[in-house]
Amino acid sequence: MALRTILRAPAAVRPLLIQPRALYHSYEHNEPPPYRDAESAILSSALAHVPLHGFTEEALSLGAKEAGYLDISSNLFPKGAFDLVTYHLVTQRLGLKDRIQFHDEKIGVGRKVRSLVLERLRANVDAGVVGRWQEALALMSLGENIPRSLKELSGLSDEIWFLAGDMSVDTSWYTKRATLAGIYAATEIYQTTDQSTEFRDTEQFLDRRLEESRVAGSAVGNTLEWIGFQGGAMVNLMRSKGARI
Amino acid sequence: MASLLPRATKRLRLSPPSGFVCHDCRRAFGSSVCQSQQQQPAPSQHVSQSEKTTHFGFETVAEELKASRVRTVFSSVAANYDTMNDLMSLGIHRLWKDHFVRSLNPGIRPASTASSPQATPGQTILDIAGGTGDIALRLLDHATTINHDPRTNVIISDINPEMLAEGRKRFATSPYYSTSTNRRVSFLEANAEDLSAIVSNSIDLYTVAFGIRNFTHKQVALQEAFRVLKPGGVFACLEFTPRLSNPLMNGIYKRWSFGAIPLIGQVVAADRESYQYLVESIERFPSQSEFAGMIEEAGFMVPGGERGVEGELESGWEDLSLGIAAIHKGVKPVSR
Ligand SMILES: C[S@@+](CC[C@H](N)C(=O)[O-])C[C@H]1O[C@@H](n2cnc3c(N)ncnc32)[C@H](O)[C@@H]1O
Ligand SMILES: C[S@@+](CC[C@H](N)C(=O)[O-])C[C@H]1O[C@@H](n2cnc3c(N)ncnc32)[C@H](O)[C@@H]1O
Repeated sequence: MALRTILRAPAAVRPLLIQPRALYHSYEHNEPPPYRDAESAILSSALAHVPLHGFTEEALSLGAKEAGYLDISSNLFPKGAFDLVTYHLVTQRLGLKDRIQFHDEKIGVGRKVRSLVLERLRANVDAGVVGRWQEALALMSLGENIPRSLKELSGLSDEIWFLAGDMSVDTSWYTKRATLAGIYAATEIYQTTDQSTEFRDTEQFLDRRLEESRVAGSAVGNTLEWIGFQGGAMVNLMRSKGARI
Repeated sequence: MASLLPRATKRLRLSPPSGFVCHDCRRAFGSSVCQSQQQQPAPSQHVSQSEKTTHFGFETVAEELKASRVRTVFSSVAANYDTMNDLMSLGIHRLWKDHFVRSLNPGIRPASTASSPQATPGQTILDIAGGTGDIALRLLDHATTINHDPRTNVIISDINPEMLAEGRKRFATSPYYSTSTNRRVSFLEANAEDLSAIVSNSIDLYTVAFGIRNFTHKQVALQEAFRVLKPGGVFACLEFTPRLSNPLMNGIYKRWSFGAIPLIGQVVAADRESYQYLVESIERFPSQSEFAGMIEEAGFMVPGGERGVEGELESGWEDLSLGIAAIHKGVKPVSR
């Protein structure tokens, strides 16, 4: 895939597809905490208001006040509601390793990847944001937010491969990361519309995508489609619902 | 525009000259004038070696003198200040100010205090170096029309009583001051380095637009800002940057400047010293990264501030028009 897809990608996106791998593993590096105490306090309080108020400035202000701050303190977040989205993405990526442990050494990498993706999607449910996730996707697909969103998406993909025990360092790694990113993005969009009990349909949707990638060997296109097409469609959808995006 | 220029020039000549130098457009002529000025440095007879000195532009003057000289520079501008700004910056400073205020989002939305909307007291905003009230008016407009907040009020503070007098005149006809029952602006003559008239922890938002580079002790002013702000309160500054990061843009600015010099030159010739001061105060202002560091040093959290390998701040401000001006913010932490 790699080269053709990379060259087809918009210039801003290219560096993300060819980033060196060491950046993301939560386990290998003792990264400094990604948020200052005050930021974590405000953003985590704000997330609790997302089910009712959505990914909005409103949720951010409410979070600020709950954490002992003022309405005006939301100036701490230059990107407003998108910073709230990013907070969810980052904390759930870093929290994934604590949500799942593989005790059976015989489970294959493929099964682990599947479990990890489902676990990550379950985190959206547990955080109560699934019903509001289309708003998040709309924010993520806005021009100035795309690079950061893609970085988080490939960071998640990277983390999942790593937690699944895939240690490959050959060139297949780029394909793998892009493929999984595409599958994850598509499945997450599907999840936002899933009405079935306990998201059974989402699980089946994921299985079909994983099967496809085994057969055809590529879901790479999906990533870019997700950004270009789905993202745009999502913005229109949200605008039609009256969201100020 | 073409028909406007001659008229404006005439008007300039009629009034005392010193303040015409609109720092908002100093890029237009700053560089070339600076060069010519450097060859003939102004005499600095005020300075004796032992005295504590500070910069008045590139000229070094005794500290006590600076404040009074700054006052003189702005005194003669006061009456024409807003007209000058508009004419010379071709309106750009308005766009920056609009953006500055919009990004701050002053005012408290009723919905966010659904439980007891009546009880909300609104915000108390302090507009430092507020001059004729350009920023204050925008802050009140935003709070009122965007956030439907009729209570938020602004204290306009300036070291210069003549600037404040202009502000009073301007607000006299506005709905924010004309009714005596709900006055939402007040005026305070004070040096930004000593705000002892203002109680600690009482301000929600502190703004300073095109003012801080005139202060003798910028760090002291930042500490005063920190003191008067409530925990969670916000410091916000709109200011020119000492140089454009992009050399191409710098070049374009110089080209534009040649067109503007003939007009401005007439004005400038009359009071070089004041003019020179305004231009040079910008050249001396710290870079974005240095200034963000100063804000942190005063105790603020800098939004989006990330450090590079050498510990210097690499982000945490917003460049405007490719870095001609920049917005810096700081949030006072709540101690727990
Ligand atoms: C089968 S796991 C082994 C560790 C597991 N805790 C166990 O005892 O079953 C194989 C790989 O998963 C990765 N891994 C396991 N736990 C992890 C964690 N908490 N964080 C990051 N990576 C982990 C490691 O790279 C390890 O080589
Ligand atoms: C360029 S004007 C800015 C006015 C207004 N904020 C605007 O953006 O249009 C600068 C103002 O700073 C004021 N000033 C200068 N030094 C000061 C100080 N030490 N304390 C308070 N104000 C000061 C001047 O009197 C002048 O009104």
